Amino acid sequence: MIAVHLDSPAVDAHQGQPMKPSFMSPSSRAPAPPFAGGPAADAASFELNGVTFAVGERLLLEPLTLALPARRMVGLIGHNGSGKSTLLKLLARQQPAASGAIRFEGRALKDWGDRPFARKVAYLPQQTPPASGLLVKELVALGRYPWHGALGRFGAADRAKVDEAMELTNVEPFADRLVDTLSGGERQRVWLAMLVAQDAEYLLLDEPISALDVAHQIEVLSLVHRLTQERGLGVVVVLHDVNMAARFCDEILALHSGRLVARGTPETIMTPEQLETVYGIAMGVMPHPETRQPISYVR
Amino acid sequence: MAERALPSRSVAPLALLAGALACLALALTAATLEAALPARLWWAALTSHGATVPALIFADVALPRVVVSWIVGAGLALAGVLLQQALRNPLADTTTLGISAGAYLALAAASLFAPALLAAGQEAVALAASLAVAAIVLAVARRGDLSPVALILAGLTLSLLCGSAAAVLTVLNHDYLSTLFVWQSGSLVQNGWGPTRRLAVALAFAGAAAAALSRPLMLLELAESQGRALGLRVGAARAAAVAVAAAIGAACVSAVGVVGFIGIVAPQIAQRLGARTLRQKLTWAPAFGALLLWIADQGVQHLAFLRTEIPVGSATALLGAPVLLLIVLQHKPRGVRNVRPATAPVRPRARHPRRAVVALCALFALSALVAMGLGRTMTGWGWLSADTAGLVLPWRAPRVIAAGSAGAMLAVAGLLLQRMTGNPMASPEVLGVSSGAALGIVILLFIVADFSQPLMIAAAAGGALAALLLIVGLNGRAGLAVDRLLLVGVALATGFSAFAAVLLTSGDPRSAILLAWLSGSTYRATLAGAVAAALFAVVVIAAAGATARWLAILPLGPATAAAIGVPARASRLVLLSAIAALTAAATMVVGPLSFIGLLGPHLVRLAGIERPLDQLMAAAAAGGALLVAADWLGRNLFFPWEVPAGLCAALIGGPVCLALLRGRPA
Repeated sequence: MIAVHLDSPAVDAHQGQPMKPSFMSPSSRAPAPPFAGGPAADAASFELNGVTFAVGERLLLEPLTLALPARRMVGLIGHNGSGKSTLLKLLARQQPAASGAIRFEGRALKDWGDRPFARKVAYLPQQTPPASGLLVKELVALGRYPWHGALGRFGAADRAKVDEAMELTNVEPFADRLVDTLSGGERQRVWLAMLVAQDAEYLLLDEPISALDVAHQIEVLSLVHRLTQERGLGVVVVLHDVNMAARFCDEILALHSGRLVARGTPETIMTPEQLETVYGIAMGVMPHPETRQPISYVR
Repeated sequence: MAERALPSRSVAPLALLAGALACLALALTAATLEAALPARLWWAALTSHGATVPALIFADVALPRVVVSWIVGAGLALAGVLLQQALRNPLADTTTLGISAGAYLALAAASLFAPALLAAGQEAVALAASLAVAAIVLAVARRGDLSPVALILAGLTLSLLCGSAAAVLTVLNHDYLSTLFVWQSGSLVQNGWGPTRRLAVALAFAGAAAAALSRPLMLLELAESQGRALGLRVGAARAAAVAVAAAIGAACVSAVGVVGFIGIVAPQIAQRLGARTLRQKLTWAPAFGALLLWIADQGVQHLAFLRTEIPVGSATALLGAPVLLLIVLQHKPRGVRNVRPATAPVRPRARHPRRAVVALCALFALSALVAMGLGRTMTGWGWLSADTAGLVLPWRAPRVIAAGSAGAMLAVAGLLLQRMTGNPMASPEVLGVSSGAALGIVILLFIVADFSQPLMIAAAAGGALAALLLIVGLNGRAGLAVDRLLLVGVALATGFSAFAAVLLTSGDPRSAILLAWLSGSTYRATLAGAVAAALFAVVVIAAAGATARWLAILPLGPATAAAIGVPARASRLVLLSAIAALTAAATMVVGPLSFIGLLGPHLVRLAGIERPLDQLMAAAAAGGALLVAADWLGRNLFFPWEVPAGLCAALIGGPVCLALLRGRPA
């Protein structure tokens, strides 16, 4: 873990500064497994037990029991209205579950304080709000709120984290620009930078690439993937494009009408039978001509 | 709402309710008519003209009043249906769009400055004004794609503006007060059949026009682009419908004054009971409008326990406000709206924001010095000299200090609200927080009759907080960032002012004092009171500075704020308390309407100041300077007459607010 860290440009930039353990990755964090797609040995971060969600009488999420691992990139796929975003919002504490229990690191979600939870889990909504009048560097700095709070000092450690996050996400060139003047891809990276500056161990991303062209989709997902590898972050990402999910995620969860219908590595999900249960149309799978990774197509 | 009404529903519920209402109205009317003249003499009074005074009252006062209530009610409901259909907005009405207020202002101005015009035809004067107002509202809301909020805000601003202008006219022309109030009150009292006949003719024309427009209007139910694809000239159809509605509004105002909300309530009742198609609405809404106004007008005649009769216009406003609120809470905007328009205007930021802040503070200080030093006296304009200072300063200083601190507090309250809701059009005035504070004081005065300052500020703070909690509570889980917040605020403001108006027209001698205070005069400011307000302002604004971090994050919306650990409940509670305290203290000084809470923060942003702490300081300075300037203008412009600072600020602020709305993207 440390070795990987030193190789990353982010740490190079601050090698001259004294680094306190508090703003390095916490030493309590176990080293991440090398990314090889093998099953994770460590304990689950999120545990759901019979979790449901309903609006009025409509059940959006059937009773769901599952565990989500730390330090892995998990893709959430499914048709429109299958409950992907709902599940993510429940994990992010944006909505309370109608019934059932969700625990994070062994503690029920409602028992977490606002800021302690935000230090552990970061969330990017599907539609990022307009950031009227904010500069890029100011928006990224807001990610430090869980650490310094309403009245605490914005110290050197915070500053260093912000710089590091901007460097890691490549948003430094427009640090002094207004967020609202950026293109969609740039803006998305700025919001990711804010999440990185938040220094959480777990990222919950709701369709982070839905508004981007294909080049920016790859760029953003590569960045997220790199974060899981280099920093041992856990990620749950809602994706519409099953091929993107297969390409970047360690594991894929498929929802259909609020029920979990499939779960496994990309290889086990990317079969014609599984994809038909998920999307309800006949699909085929073929190997990528160069990488041999499975690619799905509509028959 | 239309989506829920099933096509299979019959019109039976409509007919049933209409019948029940008609029975009630008939009973009430029989009682009033009986009071005017015993029933056995009715026929004689109608056939043989003017035998006795009671017979005259029956035939030429009581009966035409009934008929006028039918015509006005039906007309306003028809205007409401037309506007709602043309603008695809369930809240559109001649009152909410400012059409009635514009007609009223024109009539008031004409009666003072060009009475000859009225003799030629007061309907023409009112019509010209109401068409002009409708055109302005549409032009302003055009940029916002005629969204409900843009329309209603533009209408509200215009009607406040027209109301303030009319109030200034009354302040400057005390002698003609009674003639001016004729149109404002919305009273159906008649003395002859003349107006009734003219109204009937006007409504007949309007009805024919509405029938002719019904086909194109049906297509307006679709989105604008689809209507166009079907070959409809959308702009022309919309303009024609609005013009017909404005004409009806003008005719009604010039005959009986401003009667609010019939145009919203009647179509809602019709729609909820199953009138689904436009044809059904055009039939049933006027029927219910006529019935409602009939009942309301007969009803107010039976409220004998009040010392004077409530004008029916106030009564309908009071009843209409809750309905407005109900609609807002259930209204879901059709289709998905762009959260981030592609061409959102981006303001450049000041290169040296701190210098801009300092400059604004200097401006504030300068305005205070000028306001204390320069003024008109019996001998003309003049600066203070050493020997006059001792005489004049004790009079001017409290007013300048009071205006300055009230302006600062309002602007900061507006800034906090705008940042908290992420909505640049939020302000204590627009959201009804100021009206809440005012209502608190009104109620206090009528219950306790105590003018002591601590009690008044407690009552004002209570009212403001109640309004804020209502707004937050009614929006519930939908959060604060949505446009609905503004609409709920508008409904509350309307309800509050209608309630205050009912109390004011009750004929109580205290209402004169109240009226002066509501218009926002610093005339009664004392040095002790002004200094106390200034100290309060400094303390609360300084305390608000401690929330700067929240203020930076909250505009990003509740999801982001929660995701980075801002305590939702605590932050909301702290900020709401600060806003309530600031608004209450400021309302005590300048009354409920001024637009300073909206303007101050906008000026600051125009100056390119964006960081929360800088904005806080700059908004305080800008708001203070604005209100000091308004107070100074009000004192000197028409010397020796005075225009209250609040009215003056509203007259300056209203047009600026409209300009801001026009610049606002959807």
